[in-house]
Amino acid sequence: MAYLTLKERLLIPTYDNPKYARSGQVVIDMEKCNGCGNCAMICPGGALYIAGIGKDKKAHLMEDDFPNCMSCNDCAAMCPRDAVKVSQTYDFGRFYKILHRGGLSAPRKF
Amino acid sequence: MKERNRGDYGSMLRRAFISKGVDMAEKLEVEEKPASEDKTGSMYKWEEGMDWNPVERIILERRSVRKYRDKQVPEALIRRLLEMARFAPSAGNSQSWRFIVIRDKKTIESMEKYAQLRAKFFMFWLNWRTSPLGRLAWLYSQIGIRVLRNDLHPIPHGALAAMAEGTLKLFQGAPTVILILEDRRGAAKPELDCGICGQNIVLAAHSLGLGTCWVGLVELLKYGIKWRRKLKISYPYRLVEGIAVGYPVGNPDGMVERELHEIEWYENSQWKTVL
Repeated sequence: MAYLTLKERLLIPTYDNPKYARSGQVVIDMEKCNGCGNCAMICPGGALYIAGIGKDKKAHLMEDDFPNCMSCNDCAAMCPRDAVKVSQTYDFGRFYKILHRGGLSAPRKF
Repeated sequence: MKERNRGDYGSMLRRAFISKGVDMAEKLEVEEKPASEDKTGSMYKWEEGMDWNPVERIILERRSVRKYRDKQVPEALIRRLLEMARFAPSAGNSQSWRFIVIRDKKTIESMEKYAQLRAKFFMFWLNWRTSPLGRLAWLYSQIGIRVLRNDLHPIPHGALAAMAEGTLKLFQGAPTVILILEDRRGAAKPELDCGICGQNIVLAAHSLGLGTCWVGLVELLKYGIKWRRKLKISYPYRLVEGIAVGYPVGNPDGMVERELHEIEWYENSQWKTVL
């Protein structure tokens, strides 16, 4: 079972080191995306941007700067063409390690 | 008996509860009010795998809104939302909350400006990537994060950095802001009660076509006397949370995927983990 070791409890991660701070990942279906910019407009972390001209105008995920994606999935809800989706949630190392969680799942009907 | 207990509410209440319990155990029959057909509870009967009912749909489709239209929300609608808050459950029915509604664009903007100033101040000491202090700021952040481990969690830390840069606004330009204050003398956990009544407001707002966003960074307004004086916040009240309310741009609400959480389950003297 997952738990926090004493060492992990005492060490604070460095937020800009990708080893200890992994931001969320987003998959963009480039065929569906038409670069309308809705996702980039509402993204709380400013993780998405629109680039390209004409037919190549698509949404992209910013990769350099932490923090950007906090895997809130607001973009997925906003997208009129269902082209964006969070594929990986954020996770931190050491003190802020995420415990007792499973994979992503849509609401299930019990 | 009655004479002796006059004024001693604790023991009177206890006695009342105990006597009621004994009565029910003896009879095991409670006189029931006839069920009315129009109550939501009797409208939807659970069957396994059934479709979402409207309440569940509102809960599942609620997404935090971060882009609002300029149009102001009618006053009556906000009053209606606050009416929902009044009926939230609270510890010992202490209702230890208080609301401040701000619908003035200029005031909201100056609050945002003040928050940005504060964020800049904190980032000067704590953000080792942008601070002129460099390595020293890293040391301060290591200490600061240990002390304020919730406020300086990587995500709010990033939000503060974005706010200091000016890319993130405190209320994201919402036309109406509801501030929730906690009465610090409330029963048990007044801060939690504020959260519960806030969620009532948020869910009701989304069912009426509004968009909302919880703003925990109103915390920044607490540093310094200016806004405490302007908002007339004094003991026993403490600013806890803000809710930005407005009409959203586009249709941000919808069902999405979320992480599963492990649940420990004890049944038939056996432990199991369900996802």
